[in-house]
Amino acid sequence: MGPDFSVFVGLLADTLGYWWVIIPATVLGIVVGAIPGFSAANTIIILLPMTLSMEPATGMIFMVALYTSSRLGAGIPAILVNIPGTAGAAATPLDGYPMAVAGRGQQALAISFTASVAAGLITTVLALVLISWLSQAVYYLHSVEMIVVMLFGISLIATISAEDQIKGLIAGFFGLMIGYIGADVVYEAPRGTFGFLELYDKVPLIPALVGLFAISEAFVVIERNTILSEKGAILQQQTGWGPTIEGIRVTFLHWKEVIWTSLLGLVIGVIPGAGAAIASFVAYQQSRILSKTPELYGTGHVPGLIAPESANNGVTSGTLIPLLIIGVPGGATAAIMAVVLEYHGINFGPDLFQSQPMIAYGSFTAMLMTYALLGLMIMPLTRYFSRVMVVPTIYMAPILIAFTLVGSFVPRAYVFDMGVAIVFGVIGYIARRTGYHVAAILIGVILGPLLENYFLRALRISQGDLGVLFSSSIGNTLWVLLLISLFAPALKRRLTRLKPVDTSASNNDDDSKA
Amino acid sequence: MKKGKQASARNVLPDCIIPAVALVFAIYYLTTITEVPWISQASAIFVSCLLLLSIIAFVIRTVWRIRQRRETLRLQGSFQDLFGTMPTSARRIALLALVIAYVLVIETLGFSLTTFVFVFVAIVLLSSLANWKKSLVIALSCSIIGYIVFIYFFKTRFPTGPIEDWLKGVI
Repeated sequence: MGPDFSVFVGLLADTLGYWWVIIPATVLGIVVGAIPGFSAANTIIILLPMTLSMEPATGMIFMVALYTSSRLGAGIPAILVNIPGTAGAAATPLDGYPMAVAGRGQQALAISFTASVAAGLITTVLALVLISWLSQAVYYLHSVEMIVVMLFGISLIATISAEDQIKGLIAGFFGLMIGYIGADVVYEAPRGTFGFLELYDKVPLIPALVGLFAISEAFVVIERNTILSEKGAILQQQTGWGPTIEGIRVTFLHWKEVIWTSLLGLVIGVIPGAGAAIASFVAYQQSRILSKTPELYGTGHVPGLIAPESANNGVTSGTLIPLLIIGVPGGATAAIMAVVLEYHGINFGPDLFQSQPMIAYGSFTAMLMTYALLGLMIMPLTRYFSRVMVVPTIYMAPILIAFTLVGSFVPRAYVFDMGVAIVFGVIGYIARRTGYHVAAILIGVILGPLLENYFLRALRISQGDLGVLFSSSIGNTLWVLLLISLFAPALKRRLTRLKPVDTSASNNDDDSKA
Repeated sequence: MKKGKQASARNVLPDCIIPAVALVFAIYYLTTITEVPWISQASAIFVSCLLLLSIIAFVIRTVWRIRQRRETLRLQGSFQDLFGTMPTSARRIALLALVIAYVLVIETLGFSLTTFVFVFVAIVLLSSLANWKKSLVIALSCSIIGYIVFIYFFKTRFPTGPIEDWLKGVI
């Protein structure tokens, strides 16, 4: 189904003619991605009257460009102020923020942007070439397989709390319990809602994210003059393009990391309902497990920033595949794209690639153009974005609180959700002050309901037989891989202890290059 | 020697808040699922058992460390451990009260007015009244920029009030 080279070049040239749509959509996407509550999906909904009035191809290119750039924009606040713009960037602050606090914010942004753009370009080309093959993944990955994929992500809870595993597990399981609030997907029975109707549709994700990261962070940092550490403040005074160039260089040194985590994102993106959050958590977890220096993760380690950013940008092209081939959207934004195209009477399926190549293939070429444009446009901004770090906390904290709280209002327009953000803010603050990892709670809140949905569906299909969890060969292979990934680090540590100490090994460690 | 060890023991009473809240919530949650089909109960029961086991492990570890005099449980100083020393602790609590007030009145007064008052008061609270001019400029900028970008251009669903209604009539 993939286009031959001459068709591809022709499509790319045609897409270039849409520069007047792509450029404003890209700028808008960066802005809305960077503000919690203003996801691409929300923005496309807000702009629906405009999108619907456009030609189908123009509208699709606009939405794709906005979606693509918002993914990249979400990493900016995650790195600079520890607030992921969207759930897909929730794993980015784990190593991005410590880098920023240490005065390496400009470099961290350059790493994030380079990894995102490279991952986006690689996976978009691959998606174009392998589109028919990748679309088959939808038919092979069902509830059972997705349960194991979710468990890959959830196992990150134990990993990121390596300093105090008991506290990490408490935080993670607490998060999972919070994630189970609401009516279940099969029987619609309300559970743990405290009688609030607003919680029947699960705990809203943006307020949870705003509370756990933004509000709690604002309350923590007010005892310091700036977010920067003492050393970081000195390092931050370095001006010039050095840190940006160094960030780009370091990312290319980790090219293998970029490629495999972006491919992971692409495959997860193809699965309807999975999405960027799962991809970034799984990528971070697997990157840490495969690393020679896992102990450096969470301290501002370069691969720990590359992995989630590459993976969540790999998802972007993946989500379009099931939409265009079988009409099943891979995520919320793709679902809105489906609505817009259906409004214009466009039918999805393999025929779309013949009848409307500018929509089918054009979506991917628009994505390629957006990533290329982002690479050129956003890199020079790293130097100026990172200046946010020197804003005194007496100004930063109130502004952050005000805008993120209103951001938590936007998705559903409930003041109740702002209250939810405050509750999560208090929980997050106490957690931070007492050594519990807020990211562990958030992983539970994000992945808990997804895991339960797949679990309930699997049990429903099997009429309550738990044996269904081990009923497919792909699922069983994934179970084995999960067990290996869980126990391999401990086994590796034990084997390392048994080996005689080789001091030269540490000098050759690829991971420590950064 | 023993006395010195006791004095240096870390107070872990604040560390017990999250497990306590988690435990209370899990018990509450379980009481709400007694009537639902077992399939809907299964994963919550499984996770709450894991949570309970983790909390038990935490309690055993804490008791062990208290016996070793590495940790202690005392009310005195817990507030400081959690909120910091004065004046930071007072500022944190006042800021929390301000945040709650912000959410309570935003539906009535709307985004622009509430955000202006909140940002102005919060900056003065975190710095001093001598900083009022700068606070005023920043608070006003937040309100105006927020209104223009999000309400006027993006038509975002922000809470609206008298200012937004008036501006809607004027612009």
